[in-house]
Amino acid sequence: MEHYIQTELGKKCLQELLQVWLDFDRNLSKVPIVKRLETGRLSQQDYCHLLLNMRQQVIEGSRWISRSASSFDRNHSDVRSSVIHHAHEEHRDYLMLEKDYLAAGGKLADIQTAERNIGSEALHGYLMYSASKPNPVALIGAMWIIEGLGNKMSIRWAKLVKEHLQPSINITRFLEYHGKNDEDHLKELYQLIDRVASSKDNVASIIKTARVVGRLYCLQLEEVDNYE
Amino acid sequence: MNVYINSTGRYLPGNPINNDEIEAVLGLINNKPSRLKNKILKSNGIKTRHYAINTEQQTVESNCNLAKKAALNCIEKSFLPSRKIKLLSTATSQGDMVLPGFSSMLQAELDIPEVEINTSHGICSSSMMALKYAFANIKAELSDNALVVASELASRLFKHSRYEAIEDDNIDFNAEFLRWMLSDGAGALLLENIPRPNTTSLKIEWIKSFSHADVYDTCMSLGKSKNDEVKTWQDYPTYAEAEKSGALLLRQDVRLLDNIVAVGVNGFLKLISTGDVDVDKIDHVLCHFSSHYFKGKIFEMLAQSGTFIPEEKWYTNLYERGNTGCASLFIMLDEFIKTRTLSSGATILCMVPESGRFNCAYMLLTVEK
Repeated sequence: MEHYIQTELGKKCLQELLQVWLDFDRNLSKVPIVKRLETGRLSQQDYCHLLLNMRQQVIEGSRWISRSASSFDRNHSDVRSSVIHHAHEEHRDYLMLEKDYLAAGGKLADIQTAERNIGSEALHGYLMYSASKPNPVALIGAMWIIEGLGNKMSIRWAKLVKEHLQPSINITRFLEYHGKNDEDHLKELYQLIDRVASSKDNVASIIKTARVVGRLYCLQLEEVDNYE
Repeated sequence: MNVYINSTGRYLPGNPINNDEIEAVLGLINNKPSRLKNKILKSNGIKTRHYAINTEQQTVESNCNLAKKAALNCIEKSFLPSRKIKLLSTATSQGDMVLPGFSSMLQAELDIPEVEINTSHGICSSSMMALKYAFANIKAELSDNALVVASELASRLFKHSRYEAIEDDNIDFNAEFLRWMLSDGAGALLLENIPRPNTTSLKIEWIKSFSHADVYDTCMSLGKSKNDEVKTWQDYPTYAEAEKSGALLLRQDVRLLDNIVAVGVNGFLKLISTGDVDVDKIDHVLCHFSSHYFKGKIFEMLAQSGTFIPEEKWYTNLYERGNTGCASLFIMLDEFIKTRTLSSGATILCMVPESGRFNCAYMLLTVEK
């Protein structure tokens, strides 16, 4: 195995990120809609609601990554390149999500006119605010959580949705898609962690951001059931 | 006050039974060989195990007997006569009797007068809870010593006749899974507040556990049929009806099983961040876990973060002695210290992840010579 993380601080940062992820993953299992999904009680309508509520965040996702790219100065141009690459890869993901929504029985007008739920508002607000700060290295923590979630969606959620809803056509392209470039993404993340975890303050801010994003992501999914 | 494990013992009933012989002991369900057996055995890697039932599925030795033999094996090699034992703390997932507690029954077998008793009930990690009770007792200077015994006789649950008693012959994968996993055996540890010369004394640095039943559903269970949401075995009009409905089969919800890896790693990282574990200073790892779990992304991440303990430091006898539930770790520890030359100051990290409803227990030991 190739070791992408060479520095002690980088290793410490990854250790803490792993812990934040595992705590987040556990909290996620307590969110009612996720609990229904994981215990085979998710209805097709639930699934449509889930996609509808995730769409806004997916659209905004590429916006905050793009904005953060512009906030890195020339001393961080390598980080900026990596972040731009990431944003470019994902900025049209929502189209795939919309197709799944239609395939699962939703109406295009509904998903396109839907407002952000309360959790999405908070998550979006926090990410755009963080991305606007100079050299926002802390956002590596956000990328870590969202990347991990993508992995969970593709490996576990897509499988569960298929198993329980047994759709006749593909309604899980968006969930599955995230698994495809996983290895490369992970390698890039390792390299970014090694690059930016260069001080204790940086590590602390990365971890804090990962925690906040994890909490707000749970809030966004909790709000799926409150969405009318 | 320091607490030391000054003696260990184990007992595994009968001859080792290899994979081809299992069904000769447990019996063929409806006279047909299992179609799942090889698949499950391949994934758990177990080659031999022991059973306290014979090929007629009759009990040769009771669970209490297994516990007694492990306890005697432990006491015989100690500095302490059994009459001087102050505390008997035991664990089992199922005693021979439903009531009273296992410790009461074992005390009688061992003939220890006026001893304080504690019985810990649960699955694999219940031995660690029994051990923690004993450890904390000595630590708090309430006792000078304690005998801790963990014993399992799971094979009685896996007799072919148990499965044949199910109403519609519909035996699900989850109910058969553990038939190829669990077997019988007992282990014992003697704890004292002083180390002893000319023996391997293991100082218990700490025992900690984290349970996640608030998050996850039941993964390994006995007492509910596969289709019933609410009713448990005692809610049926008769025990016969409970058995017929499958409420008395031991089940593993294999879909949930993967969570045990996340739970185990999470606790491990927590102990690193609190300073309880320093990965570079761990010399040996004893884990009640099949090593086929050590694949996958999470272990690669541990390696990237410098927290994966190299495989050469891991020890297990699971593949030869079988998975004996709560007794496994004690049986492992006993064989480990009796077959290895351990240097003074060496550290042993023990881990017992329990899939029941996701409890994971950890212990750190230091060798004192």
